[in-house]
Amino acid sequence: MKAYILSDKDYMTDAYSRLLSQVKNHLLHFDIEEKQIGRGDIAFCKGCFGCWVKKPGECVISDDMANINRAMMNSDVVFFLSPIVFGQFSANMKYAIDRWLPNMLPFFELRKDGSTMHPRRYESYPKQIMIGYGEHLSPEDAQLFTDITQKHRSNVTMLIDDGTEDQIENALGHIALKRIAGGAL
Amino acid sequence: MKKMIILSASPKKGEPSVSNLLSQTAKDHISGKDIEVDIIDVRKSLTSKDCTPAFEAMKDADAMLIVFPLYFFCMPGMLTRYLEDYAHYIGAQGLPQKIYTIVNCGFPEPDINEEAIRVIQSFSRRIGASFRFGVGFGSGGMIMGAKDAPFMKKAMQTLNDAFDLMAKDMNDMQLPPLKNVYIKVSFPRRLYYFGGNFGWRKLAKQNGLKKGDLYRKPYQAES
Repeated sequence: MKAYILSDKDYMTDAYSRLLSQVKNHLLHFDIEEKQIGRGDIAFCKGCFGCWVKKPGECVISDDMANINRAMMNSDVVFFLSPIVFGQFSANMKYAIDRWLPNMLPFFELRKDGSTMHPRRYESYPKQIMIGYGEHLSPEDAQLFTDITQKHRSNVTMLIDDGTEDQIENALGHIALKRIAGGAL
Repeated sequence: MKKMIILSASPKKGEPSVSNLLSQTAKDHISGKDIEVDIIDVRKSLTSKDCTPAFEAMKDADAMLIVFPLYFFCMPGMLTRYLEDYAHYIGAQGLPQKIYTIVNCGFPEPDINEEAIRVIQSFSRRIGASFRFGVGFGSGGMIMGAKDAPFMKKAMQTLNDAFDLMAKDMNDMQLPPLKNVYIKVSFPRRLYYFGGNFGWRKLAKQNGLKKGDLYRKPYQAES
């Protein structure tokens, strides 16, 4: 079983270290690959849609993101340890999240809840777990961080660090850490 | 005269974008109402050697209008970086400034932009500015190719009304809190899907791809 942990090199706080330790404690039987993204390590998505209509399934930007996407797509579970900034992901993390786009198809499809989405490209996807952390988080920002993903994406579990020692490990105990057949999101 | 800075935040390079068009439309509409309006191209500013001149202009404005496309249900990475840097630049000072936003999305449902509008609200809190209201625009691509079509008339009128409200709000300190505006283009969803899906296949063909190539799985599970 493979696990991939993506995090932000520019926000390696005490909370981050504690969270990383908790996650790794829970992944004792996994092969773990870690990646920290810092400013300038990868480019931002330019919305060119080359990953759909020029080189389907792969970003046309030549940088480390191709390796990150390949590793994530071949994992059973992917963790995103993200600082919460303005109630959403930090810039470094958002650079990587935006560039998940090649893993979906360009077309429109109607979901059961009446919303539009892009279809999956692959038969199955890693389970995705996003853990948000930050100092002096307001209740509004914590709720927004959850809503951004939980309202729109069904294959992602959102957790917010509450600063306690065992909260994340306890939460992970209730999540099946295995690939999921179905949606890219 | 009051001053508005529009942050035009399409990450696209060298090609037309909905956000740039919306920004220019806003400038054309609001400029005539006793308000001086300048546009900052976020991509150009961020990739320049020095963001300071732009950050100073943003800091000194009476209002900012932040226009961007929805990327994974919130701000694109590029704009996130820019606003993170700006918040760091101005520090903890409170700005007597009003903030508006327009978020556009390629999906027909305009309320999908709600959380992105809340992100701008959070950013406003962070810099001590006053968030006033946001506009969520569905079927954003339609404004590029069909903004003068009859079925776009109501959407464009609602957009222009939102610009009028921004101008009025900038010039009037007494207006109560304002509600977000969601603009849905009156166009059959099935036809919109058909046109969109046809468009992707056409673009792929122009790039020398066959229909089946669109479904490639380069990262197919290796284990």
